[in-house]
Amino acid sequence: MPMIEFRNVSKWYGSFQVLKDCTTKVEKGEVVVVCGPSGSGKSTLIKCVNALEPFQQGEIVVNGQQVGDRTVNLPQLRSKIGMVFQHFELFPHMTVVENLNLAQIKVLGRGLDEATEKSRMLLKRVGMIDHAPKFPGQLSGGQQQRVAIARGLAMDPVAMLFDEPTSALDPEMINEVLDVMVELAQEGMTMMCVTHEMGFARKVAHRVIFMDRGEIVEDATKEEFFGTPRSERAQQFLSKILHH
Amino acid sequence: MNFDFSIISNALPYLWKGFQYTLELTVIAAGGGLFFGTLLALARLSSIRPLQLVAGGYVNLMRSIPLVLVIFWFFFLVPLILQAVTGADRPPQVGAERTAIITFIMFEAAYFCEIMRAGIQSIPRGQIHSAYALGLNYSQTMRLVILPQAFRNMLPVLLTQTIILFQDTSLVYVISATDFVGAAAKIAQRDSKLVEMYLFVAVVYFILCFTLSYAVKLLQRRIAVIR
Repeated sequence: MPMIEFRNVSKWYGSFQVLKDCTTKVEKGEVVVVCGPSGSGKSTLIKCVNALEPFQQGEIVVNGQQVGDRTVNLPQLRSKIGMVFQHFELFPHMTVVENLNLAQIKVLGRGLDEATEKSRMLLKRVGMIDHAPKFPGQLSGGQQQRVAIARGLAMDPVAMLFDEPTSALDPEMINEVLDVMVELAQEGMTMMCVTHEMGFARKVAHRVIFMDRGEIVEDATKEEFFGTPRSERAQQFLSKILHH
Repeated sequence: MNFDFSIISNALPYLWKGFQYTLELTVIAAGGGLFFGTLLALARLSSIRPLQLVAGGYVNLMRSIPLVLVIFWFFFLVPLILQAVTGADRPPQVGAERTAIITFIMFEAAYFCEIMRAGIQSIPRGQIHSAYALGLNYSQTMRLVILPQAFRNMLPVLLTQTIILFQDTSLVYVISATDFVGAAAKIAQRDSKLVEMYLFVAVVYFILCFTLSYAVKLLQRRIAVIR
């Protein structure tokens, strides 16, 4: 059974269709990179996985649970899926360690000591332990994003979603975030990443999905995708982002 | 014309009692107004249409009629309504002070609602998404993530509204409650010292409100740096 499965998912904003009949899946332990031009629906697709965006047709099954089902316990389902956002979205009124503790205590019901221990272990892992008592506003973008990854991991997720995690970063900070992600991928975490970092895709992705105008145009293994993309649109896209 | 300001020092204990009532009314109305205003703001921003409409209608109604009228209507109408409901022989009296507290909470809730609504809307949508993504439910997301930030962003405006409220409480004179102005008015009438008493009251209001406004301005500057 795949960890995340999309079956004929379609979504409309009013009369405008943002997702067109999308079908794909992410197996356990698999790293899938989703790329495509802006406005192609990649962020929308990934946000449907934990129901941050509703969809009107088709179904998404995550870890055996139907996301669109009204009876599904959404907070519980979401707590098992870590998510990292383009703009970090750390809580600015809490310290770094409080950011990691919050959902552990309020959602998983861990005690303060247990949560703090877990948080400190993860902060150490992403190289941010020295910044534990600071507020997010005192950190650089790259540091904030590493904290955000640790915050997602603190919930012991079965999969991690990344929504353009490096797009808002200055170039010199991209690598510190990618390094953490590569490490995570090599440890066998199930990951679905919307990103334009083709170096990252080459290094750790198992499959690459190429989207354009709401459609999944290409869904191929990494070797196939970077070898000879079948669709013209994917070829054009690749030549644009790889030639500089 | 000769003025006798010694009257003020003689009347100080009575004036102080009035002033305490003014403060009490301000604090209770601000606290209650903020509480119910926040609930109203959440209702206005909710995705449940009837809730939006009721809260929006209430806020627009309250903001479109003068405060004096709200106090008046409440003072005279509510006893009649209570009589109709309970079937009592005579209209039960709510009393000036209770009327004042309830009407001010009701009225301020509408204004605090709009302030908190702006505050909530000033928080990026991604904050709600990231709270939801961690598994927090609606109430936890609001209580732990959104409202604390909204409250902090809006603190200067909330305090400014409270200073306005502090001045507006003087309107309770229409139902003969003895606030600071009410106490001064009673002494002014009794001793025919209108100029002295009203001047004194004005000076006290000015000093307090001016100082507080200045403090809010300083606070605003500090908050601006943190963000």
